[in-house]
Amino acid sequence: MEAPLVRPDQTFSGAADDFPTLLRRKGLLGPAAIVDAVGPVGKLQQRSWEPTEATTILAFKFSGGVLVAGDRRATSGNTVVYDRADKVLEIDRHSIMAIAGVPATAWEMARVLEHSFQYFRRTQLQEMSVDGKVRALSKLLRDNFGFVMQGVGMVVPIFATYDSNPKPEARLYFYDAMGAQFEVTDYAATGSGSPSVRGILYYQNNWGAKPLQKLSEDEAVSIALRALDTAAESDTSTGGVDRSGKIYPLIKIVSREGITTLPETKIAAVFKKTVA
Amino acid sequence: MIEEPYRWVEAIANRREYIEAQLVSGSPIAALGYRDGILFLTLGQARQKIFEIYDRIAMGAIGHPGDIERLRMAAIELASTEGFTRSTADVSLRRLVHYSLSPVMKSAFEQVYGAPYLARMLFAEVGERPEEDLFLRVEYDGEIATSGTTFAQTRQDFAALSGTRQSRELMESFLKAEYAPDTSFEAALKSALDAWSVGHMALQTGDAKELPERSAVTKYRLEQLANSGIEAGILERDPSRGIRYRALLDAELRALIHD
Repeated sequence: MEAPLVRPDQTFSGAADDFPTLLRRKGLLGPAAIVDAVGPVGKLQQRSWEPTEATTILAFKFSGGVLVAGDRRATSGNTVVYDRADKVLEIDRHSIMAIAGVPATAWEMARVLEHSFQYFRRTQLQEMSVDGKVRALSKLLRDNFGFVMQGVGMVVPIFATYDSNPKPEARLYFYDAMGAQFEVTDYAATGSGSPSVRGILYYQNNWGAKPLQKLSEDEAVSIALRALDTAAESDTSTGGVDRSGKIYPLIKIVSREGITTLPETKIAAVFKKTVA
Repeated sequence: MIEEPYRWVEAIANRREYIEAQLVSGSPIAALGYRDGILFLTLGQARQKIFEIYDRIAMGAIGHPGDIERLRMAAIELASTEGFTRSTADVSLRRLVHYSLSPVMKSAFEQVYGAPYLARMLFAEVGERPEEDLFLRVEYDGEIATSGTTFAQTRQDFAALSGTRQSRELMESFLKAEYAPDTSFEAALKSALDAWSVGHMALQTGDAKELPERSAVTKYRLEQLANSGIEAGILERDPSRGIRYRALLDAELRALIHD
């Protein structure tokens, strides 16, 4: 007999599987990694992992929504392997995931997430709520934690989105490698270069000419470029601005209208005027 | 029953008659390709009948809501997993219908001890250019009809779905006579409303063989619009956007209807 297209239990459940579960059922996604904290002899294993999130990602709210910026350098140990990496990824019309960590895992997560949101909308005939989207990413990180413990596949993302309900506003979250999510009011930074970026954004927000939320678009771009350039000054894994190669960070803005990717010419103009 | 082929044929014929009787009351659905996309439209339905399936694919269906739901879920699952493992560009309506949906619907229909799918569906996939639009109608027995070029017919940039064969054929001959492809959205909207009216009139009278008078169609359309809501969705041709489907609101459509 022909295998049924849909399993009977799904027909009765009233809600579809979430997309990662569907992929696992079809054997298209690896199982959630198991955190093996207790070894075969029953002793608690002490494992540690090296932070491998070699990059700098930052995001902050400004007058026109949320700005998300990332440098373009991808490294493997001490080697620069790619200087045009795209670490600021569009997930849907109003959501951006920016990634620090192992690219293979991060890009896979972004793909799963992108399809999850669309799968939910198509099957359930309504948009997934912002809280649902934030949870979905958290769950992917949680499923991946076993790999992090094994020293591979660490991902520490930032998630920026625009919430139309109930109160229209931009929302910004950062995560830890275990999947805990933290909503921030002003700014977030992650990756190896983030300590200096956090310092700059904190200083700017408290004692700068105006707080981050009041900045115009050009001012916001200028601060983002300065912060990434500062991070690159001391962190070898952060590309900053490549002056000779004319490679600029990737900057995207989330607002009520959706996502805009700033053209390189515009970033170059702001850079020339206020940073270089 | 397996040892008695005649009984099997009889059972299939009974089953066909039963399903056709169940589908008779289904309100027609018209799908028309125009310059900037494909329009799906129906009127006066109690529940949603037009759905997004994937980036470039939409579906309209009549039948039992439970069966429509199972088939819709299956189509979305198949398209989503294909798009995830390969690329969204590799999801093709032709493959989805020919290799996945049709064989399963056929075997469900022919296994006379099991329940068949009580549904009739119309799928469309928007192309880069109007010539590349694809429309496929899938029957409860897995039969597929296309509006694309085949050995027997030239291309048509429209398709119709209705409760009876007669009603559907009248809608098709109306659109063949009246509808010019590569047109504006307003023109497509008007033709879709008229085609729906032709199909719905045929369902009411039951034995209509000829297309009704132009004026009668207009009168019927105005009457129905006064009493029923419009359900519509479009697949936009704009290649700069990944997701092409958009549901249209009754109010925004009424603003575009002028006579």
